[in-house]
Amino acid sequence: MSRRSLSRLQLHDLHLAQGHRTVLEHVEGDFQPGAITALIGANGAGKSTLIQAIMGELRPMSGKVVCTVPKERRAWLPQQLALDLSFPMSVEELVMTGSWPSHGALKGYCAAHYRKGREIMARLGISHLAHRPLGELSGGQRQRALIGRTLMQEAELLLLDEPFANVDSETVDILIRILRQMADDGATLILVLHDMDHLQRLADEVLMLNGGHGRWMSPSALTHQHAPAQVVPFTLGGRHAGTA
Amino acid sequence: MLALLDAWFIAPFDYGFMRRAVVGGLALSLAAPTLGVFLVLRGMSLIGDAMAHAILPGVALGFLLAGFSLPVMSIGGVLFGVMVALLAGAVSKMGGQREDAAMASFFIISLAAGVMLISIGGSSVDLTHVLFGSILAINSTALLLIAGMSTLIVLTLAVIFRALVVECLDPLFLRGQSRRSGWVHSVFLGLLVLNLTAGFQTLGTLMAVGLMMLPATSARFWSKRLEGLIGIAVALAMIASTGGLLLSFHLDIPSGPSIILLAGSGYLLSALFGRYHSLAARWRRKTAPLSAEPSA
Repeated sequence: MSRRSLSRLQLHDLHLAQGHRTVLEHVEGDFQPGAITALIGANGAGKSTLIQAIMGELRPMSGKVVCTVPKERRAWLPQQLALDLSFPMSVEELVMTGSWPSHGALKGYCAAHYRKGREIMARLGISHLAHRPLGELSGGQRQRALIGRTLMQEAELLLLDEPFANVDSETVDILIRILRQMADDGATLILVLHDMDHLQRLADEVLMLNGGHGRWMSPSALTHQHAPAQVVPFTLGGRHAGTA
Repeated sequence: MLALLDAWFIAPFDYGFMRRAVVGGLALSLAAPTLGVFLVLRGMSLIGDAMAHAILPGVALGFLLAGFSLPVMSIGGVLFGVMVALLAGAVSKMGGQREDAAMASFFIISLAAGVMLISIGGSSVDLTHVLFGSILAINSTALLLIAGMSTLIVLTLAVIFRALVVECLDPLFLRGQSRRSGWVHSVFLGLLVLNLTAGFQTLGTLMAVGLMMLPATSARFWSKRLEGLIGIAVALAMIASTGGLLLSFHLDIPSGPSIILLAGSGYLLSALFGRYHSLAARWRRKTAPLSAEPSA
């Protein structure tokens, strides 16, 4: 149980429903600081529902989510499609909005904030795009800018919904490196993943949602246990074709 | 020639009511288009229209109680607008209906109720004034009220600007960041009601939304930056409100429709000749690849 006391996010016998339909039952979980957990499951298995519950957007029918990370240090990066990307905002402006928790909505940014913002953009390789509007970026560049915001936010709990969808392979490499760094710095990361290759490269643990239940396993167990035919549903679609 | 210019552009302002109307119009032009830009960006363009109808019963009640008194009518309008916004929010929270659906239901009820109230208490001339505006009625009290409301709107917008921007782009992020995210939306709706109330005197309740939306939608054809959108929208609104008042004076037509039609022409011209996404821009885009190098 000492392992459990360390963790910053725990799920206790979670029962989640959308409307009258039960989506997940008896989900137990324990997310360690520094660990990257891959959340997998077929469409409709309840991945988004679980994320909603973790972010406090959905009240569980029973059981509870215990999270000791303060709300402003939790970041949820939805799939890109959920954002209005025609919004007239530059990359730098987007990254800077992440400084919110440290200094509120009303105060102006000071030089230190801008310096930090520039450092983050340099790490992500998007310095040259600082003043480009979001609408003119490629999927990969946009995803890097969004990750930049969470870095600015110094997120300690990071939930990412398919971060590598519609993203070029260079971005995938950069993001994998940065996400691993964030974990090494003590953040807890949960990623919805569909691609086995990404999962193998990044995940320490796997939570698989299937038939309304959650099952924990190690990434290696996942590949050993499942014949390729069973793994295929998560990798199908050819949408990650650009990844090495 | 000079005499003609004088007769058209200078002489009308010998009249006190025209001077007051133009100052009121310019004050509104600072506040309204800025709100409009955010409405457009949030995909809530039609909410402005709905809210404009929502204030009508309040305005009408004020009119029944105190006659053509702008302060009383304005208070009534703000109260009713806020009430409808709250009701719509409450209905949508009960589930089953999105906020826009609830809003759509309430605003048409409000419009009917408002028109009925004015018809009971006043003449059809009064109804025309309330619905389409009357610059003759702008006295110094009205002007102070309009200028005061516009000032309040611009200052409040400056304070909540960043929160508003973040909410437009990614409401979930804002909700994650602070418990106050709810109030950003409420304050914004409040400003909307305030602005429509300030606008109904010159523009009329039905037209007030025009000065908010048309400059904002036109600006989308000219700029891709938020500052640019707001600046251009404000400039367009100022031109439209001043020009519209002059038209209204010379052609003896209600001020609301003439201001809005002028703003509307601006929109059509922008759609045809604007820098981005306009017909002309599309045409330029099509021809560009044919020449290897654009002839400088």
